[in-house]
Amino acid sequence: MKLVPIPEEKYNNYRVDAIFDCYKWDPKFVDNNTLAKYVLVLKEDEYKELVYLTEKLDLETVKAEEFLNNNLKYIKKLCLPNKLVKEIKKMQNYDKNKHIRLMRYDFHPTIDNSWQISEVNSDVPGGFAEASLLPKLAIKTLNKDYYSIDFGEILSKAISNKIKKNGTIMFVHCTSYSDDRQVMQYIGDKMKSLGYNSIYGAADHLIFKDKQAISILNNYEGKVDCIFRFTPLEWLKDIKPKKWSGYFDTITPSCNHPIAIFAQTKRFPLIWNILEQNDIEMTTWKKLLPDTKEVKDFKEGYIYKPACGRVGENISIKEACSKEEYLKIIKDVKKHPKNYVAQKKFTSKPIKIDNKEYHICLGSYTVDGKQAGFYARISELPRIDSYAADIPVVIERNKK
Amino acid sequence: MTNKEIYLKWAPYNIKWSSWVRPVPFIYLDSNVNEFIDYKIPHINYLKEVLPNTAIIIDINGVDSIKEGIALNKIGYYPIPIFNGTSSNKAMSTTNNKVIEPLLVWGAFELKEIKDDALPVFLLDENRLNRYKTDCGIFDNSWDVYYQDLPSSKYFLNNGIDKILVRANKINKDLNKILYDYQKENIKILFTNGFEPIKEIKIKKIKYIN
Repeated sequence: MKLVPIPEEKYNNYRVDAIFDCYKWDPKFVDNNTLAKYVLVLKEDEYKELVYLTEKLDLETVKAEEFLNNNLKYIKKLCLPNKLVKEIKKMQNYDKNKHIRLMRYDFHPTIDNSWQISEVNSDVPGGFAEASLLPKLAIKTLNKDYYSIDFGEILSKAISNKIKKNGTIMFVHCTSYSDDRQVMQYIGDKMKSLGYNSIYGAADHLIFKDKQAISILNNYEGKVDCIFRFTPLEWLKDIKPKKWSGYFDTITPSCNHPIAIFAQTKRFPLIWNILEQNDIEMTTWKKLLPDTKEVKDFKEGYIYKPACGRVGENISIKEACSKEEYLKIIKDVKKHPKNYVAQKKFTSKPIKIDNKEYHICLGSYTVDGKQAGFYARISELPRIDSYAADIPVVIERNKK
Repeated sequence: MTNKEIYLKWAPYNIKWSSWVRPVPFIYLDSNVNEFIDYKIPHINYLKEVLPNTAIIIDINGVDSIKEGIALNKIGYYPIPIFNGTSSNKAMSTTNNKVIEPLLVWGAFELKEIKDDALPVFLLDENRLNRYKTDCGIFDNSWDVYYQDLPSSKYFLNNGIDKILVRANKINKDLNKILYDYQKENIKILFTNGFEPIKEIKIKKIKYIN
């Protein structure tokens, strides 16, 4: 794995092309440029290893979530919000063959030349255009014989395999956030190009009649053939008035179905022993995820992670937090220990280039169990959060 | 001009502050919005010349915000649109984010050359906070400005800016939160409603959940 710089004289055009042609509408975060000046190049062997590990992880996750859905007595330790637990009981009609299951596992290279994962984005992973169009733009800009995996192609094909042609897909997101819309717009345009009717609405623009999703969005009223949800479940539960209950038992194909909640919580590892006692193998997860404990069992060398954390926020990596932020996290952990886990800290191996060191978070997608491409971010700090830069991932062919 | 070319007029390469221009309204820019718009450049009552060491945030309705930005550009400022609202397509919506689009096209032609040492004027639309829904089918494309949409206090101070002038009818809640943090980092906050003289104000901490 290496970083290859975008030539300085080409970077400005590359950035503008990424904005206009690759749905990168958020190229700045405070003072940080969120589009890397590098391309992440994987060797083919590394790519194959990641495909293997990702698909093994996914197999374990899918088996675990199906088991948990049929054995809800075991989910107590996940400490899911009460509002969600009530609805989860309705998911008994879940049939994985009717829905599209999308996940992204976040890999990190470590100093002992191995991989660790920090989480699975089980519920609403993002970064779609960055994993589809940006690598192609990078290859064109570099003019090299690299290739990339087109996540958008794989995802759109999976959707079209399960949804009738010309069907209506609602892309459910937080409509006030342009950074959510850019993700939805990319895949919506992709589905439109395949003949689907893509509509964009909020979670409460769907109602459910006889378990069928119906759009009440002004000017787009009617039956919906697929729900593509980008509003996280833990936000969904706070929407008033409560119209979101139907997401849990809908017969309308969904990506993702709320079954995603079991692996989304960072407390998922706390019930692995129960899963293993019931013959659900968690070997790959155990190999790749650092040891995870209840907060009360915190040891030296561990960090706190919020159970419902996103984009690396509120993780207590001391050297990556301001003192104020660190103390705020610790205070919250003490107040709400069940909202966190303690996880053994791994040492990320940065890549050195241009007298700087960059830490990598390499997200590896699965769509219906198959590896489906990469979304990566880099940062000079070991915590990859909103300040990190998106970086396209390409693959270098083996020399013959 | 293409959308990219219009964007690049507002965000030219290698000019300080240009990377803060938010691309969102430029992506599907439509210069043929059916609104009557008076393109007259307004007279600035509160400022005759560039205020040293001072950045400006204009938070009035989007159309006037762009026009005032252009007026300030004529005396040496760099107007930076940070509009971030999305389109509702054909659904009825809470906010008309498209009304600014012909102004961005017009402004691209009006903008004078931007010097690298020009002080920034960040342009906001106060209508972003219109989120009242008369019907549950309405598309809520209201939006907030967040700390990540603006430079950090450290960046301002390192670039010689220790004052921020807010030109608005009032300090809106989302902006209040950002200004409060700037104030904590020793940046002075000034205010004008556009007619009254500029005065220093103290920003109070308010609890704000969008």
